[in-house]
Amino acid sequence: MRSEPRLAHFAVLAALALTVLPLFLQLPPWVPLLFALQLGGRAWLAWQGRQLPHRVWLLLAMIVPVLLLWLSLRTLVGREGGVALLLLLTGFKAFETVTLRDWRVLLGLGFFLAATPLLFDQSLPSALWLLLSLFVLTWAMVLLAGVDSAASPRAAALALLYAMPLMLLLFVAMPRLPGPLWSMPTMDQRATSGLSDSLAPGSIGQMIPSREPAFTAQFRGRQPVREQLYWRVMVFDRFDGARWTAGSVPDSGAALLPGVAGELSYSITATPFKGALPVLEHAVWAGEGVQQVAAQLVRRIDARNEARLRYDVRSVAQAAYPAALSAEQRDHYLQLPAANLRTRQQGEFFARQFRDEAGRLAALRAWLQQQGLRYTLSPPLLQGDVVDDFLFSSRQGFCEHFASAFATLARAAGLPARIVVGFQGGEFNAGGQFWLVRSSDAHAWTEVWLQGRWQRVDPTALVAPSRIVSEVGELVPEAQAVVPVLGRRPPQWWHTVHAQWQRAGFVWQQWVVDYDARRQQSLFQRLGLGRVGVGSVMTLLLLGGVLLVLPLLLWLLWRRPPARSYPVRGWLLLVSRLQQAGVAAVASDTPAQLRDKAVLLAPVLQQQLARLLADWQQWRYAEGATDADPRWRGWWWQVRRFRPPRLAAKKRTGR
Amino acid sequence: MQSISFAYRQLNALILGKPLQIRLALTCMLAGGHLLIEDVPGVGKTTLAHALAGVLGLDYRRVQFTSDLLPADMLGVSLFRPDEGRFEFQPGPVFSQLLLADEINRASPKVQSALLEAMEERQVSIDGQTHALPKPFFVIATQNPDGQLGTFPLPESQLDRFLMRISLGYPSPESERALLLAGDRRQALSALPAAMNAGELLALQQKAAQVTVSSALADYVLALLLASRKRELFMHGLSPRAGLAILAAARAWAMLDGRDHVLPEDVKAVFVAVCAHRLQSRLPGMNSIDAAQRLLDHVPLA
Repeated sequence: MRSEPRLAHFAVLAALALTVLPLFLQLPPWVPLLFALQLGGRAWLAWQGRQLPHRVWLLLAMIVPVLLLWLSLRTLVGREGGVALLLLLTGFKAFETVTLRDWRVLLGLGFFLAATPLLFDQSLPSALWLLLSLFVLTWAMVLLAGVDSAASPRAAALALLYAMPLMLLLFVAMPRLPGPLWSMPTMDQRATSGLSDSLAPGSIGQMIPSREPAFTAQFRGRQPVREQLYWRVMVFDRFDGARWTAGSVPDSGAALLPGVAGELSYSITATPFKGALPVLEHAVWAGEGVQQVAAQLVRRIDARNEARLRYDVRSVAQAAYPAALSAEQRDHYLQLPAANLRTRQQGEFFARQFRDEAGRLAALRAWLQQQGLRYTLSPPLLQGDVVDDFLFSSRQGFCEHFASAFATLARAAGLPARIVVGFQGGEFNAGGQFWLVRSSDAHAWTEVWLQGRWQRVDPTALVAPSRIVSEVGELVPEAQAVVPVLGRRPPQWWHTVHAQWQRAGFVWQQWVVDYDARRQQSLFQRLGLGRVGVGSVMTLLLLGGVLLVLPLLLWLLWRRPPARSYPVRGWLLLVSRLQQAGVAAVASDTPAQLRDKAVLLAPVLQQQLARLLADWQQWRYAEGATDADPRWRGWWWQVRRFRPPRLAAKKRTGR
Repeated sequence: MQSISFAYRQLNALILGKPLQIRLALTCMLAGGHLLIEDVPGVGKTTLAHALAGVLGLDYRRVQFTSDLLPADMLGVSLFRPDEGRFEFQPGPVFSQLLLADEINRASPKVQSALLEAMEERQVSIDGQTHALPKPFFVIATQNPDGQLGTFPLPESQLDRFLMRISLGYPSPESERALLLAGDRRQALSALPAAMNAGELLALQQKAAQVTVSSALADYVLALLLASRKRELFMHGLSPRAGLAILAAARAWAMLDGRDHVLPEDVKAVFVAVCAHRLQSRLPGMNSIDAAQRLLDHVPLA
């Protein structure tokens, strides 16, 4: 039997509310809250069976929230503004939703709204929420179609199931845009690196307590050792006494020669930071979408595009350099400001003491280890010459202090040096066979030019070796994972569940979110289709769609009921005219019942109605009555002209 | 026609406060159908049946159905006449113009089916001989609602033989007060004057059968039948026989209104009485009467 229409109306409103729940996290909270209130208000009106407000009131009421929206976002377009505006207008639309057709429109808007959270977040939870939203929306649609409420969940699930193959086909085959969608701002980028384009005390320290994932990497073939995972993102080679920045002098040594043994081949999925992307040391080859730049770093080709991307890289264990540094380059890497006198004196002392460069470096390392430096994330504030203050006074700090101090020391000792900022280590997910690198893995270290190549010197590893061997959390309490309820030392099963969840997120990212134009093409090629153009895919999809739909259309056309005759059309029109006037007429009423229900109409209109009804009854049911009677045409036109005005609310006959 | 309105007034004077049921009962008679009156004991089922027989001027017999009643008790038996050397058929009470089958659901299924067969065929076959029943032939059966002790509910296939099923229900307080103050019903019943005779009734039946049914009205009845078969409201849809029954009853109702053609409101007026006992509601908490009414409320006229 038909489920009660009101139930379907509540279902539509509930489905809308559920659908936009994730937007609470993305929009100013009052917007979704107002939307929820609007839906609640509409539901209350339906529950009480009350009249909807007049359109003029709606129009007036709309001005305030839209104005508020403008004040709070300063825009009504773009991602936030557009979604918020759509939300508010949908809320108001609910108040002019009366007929079945209106409810269907509202539901259609719901399906559109369901996609909007994806503009903010495309993670696995969002996808699961979207799936839930789709189910609830379909369920509301099924109820609206009049399916019995007990059978409706099953019907909705079946409908979704039938749509699944088409969804998959469109996902795989639909041409991808090479860039981000509609120039939307970058999606959920959780600051890949959170790295800044300069290094000053504290700039990395603030990242360490954050356990946000920064990027993932997957190795093919040989797996690396954790201690050797130094992910380089940026190189800083200019020091002004307090802050390290990237200099403009041409790169150090050289294009890299093809590598020696021990090649690592891997893919990284990361969000660029001003084009800079993480890559292991001695990268010798980079795949599509990225390019190798100075200092063996990798950058996105279109540097201004901040969207997440996946790229392939190959690194070798040792790389060979063709020649020594030029005099200009050497000067550049030895540059030091006048500050930090004690440190410079210390360096110069080593330069005099050890003529041999390798011996000098060894002595520097040994000296640093003996200074009693302590690794802590909350060092005292440095004053004056920061390097001097750190090395000879406070002696407390973390990677950036160590790296900055060591680079200064090395330069003073006549060894060309630079600072590398990036990440160290990562967490291996055995189930998904990938490395997850977090913000807390951010790190800074130094590279020293020695014996014709850049050698990594990690002063942090010299002072606090455990920082490199183990996770930072074990050294620094602030960076430990704190699990709600379970506390700082969660049980083993939690780790298992957590690893599985990360694995699912990784797979989702790899196979769904990162399924871009490039991977689509490679899939087509693997299927033996060769290079497939956008045009041919669209043509094929359209053609396939037409071929699929054509038989359905023909069938519908074939079984279409014959055109309705004038008396039938006229009858339905008459009933709907009375309904519009506020008379509780239904098409199953007899003429006498309609006359009785219309007693509140003006007497003239009642007379008109009585005449129309009498004719209808006489010409339709008396002896010799036929729908082919030529008088019906005139009657139909009379019905069309019969437009009773809307009754005042208090006079309306209740349903 | 005057005789009908006279009969109508007489019945209303006897059975107080039930004009609709009386009109339906008369409609059933004019459509030539059998009538089932279902109600709790003591609300006047038997009185109505008696009164109908009386005002229509029919020769009637009454059989009180009990669980030990045999088919022969009702249909009749062949007796051997030694003096004539042959069997002679002794007709039972069924050979009358109007048979009052009181409490039909207390009889065994065997008796019920014998009666219902006679109702359908309008003849009785005994010992290889077929005996035609008189014309007109009506059965007015009364029954207690199912669930009362010692009853055999009639199966749907047999309920189908009754053109209508009506219920009287308790009278309104004012009618009941009048009833309490009025004289002896039994006396009033026997004093009831006949409004017509069997021949006139047959003529009226023929006249009713000629009331016009337009194609639009047939479409409306068809829409009702089709809607009943959608298996959402009911276990089984209405049969073609039910469709014919609706039209026959609607024609008679239209004639009582003095019209020569059937209107949708005639169909609506008789629909529940004609169809409710042929349907079984699928909806929990909704009996077949409510479900039939719901069907009427949902099928558009055009």
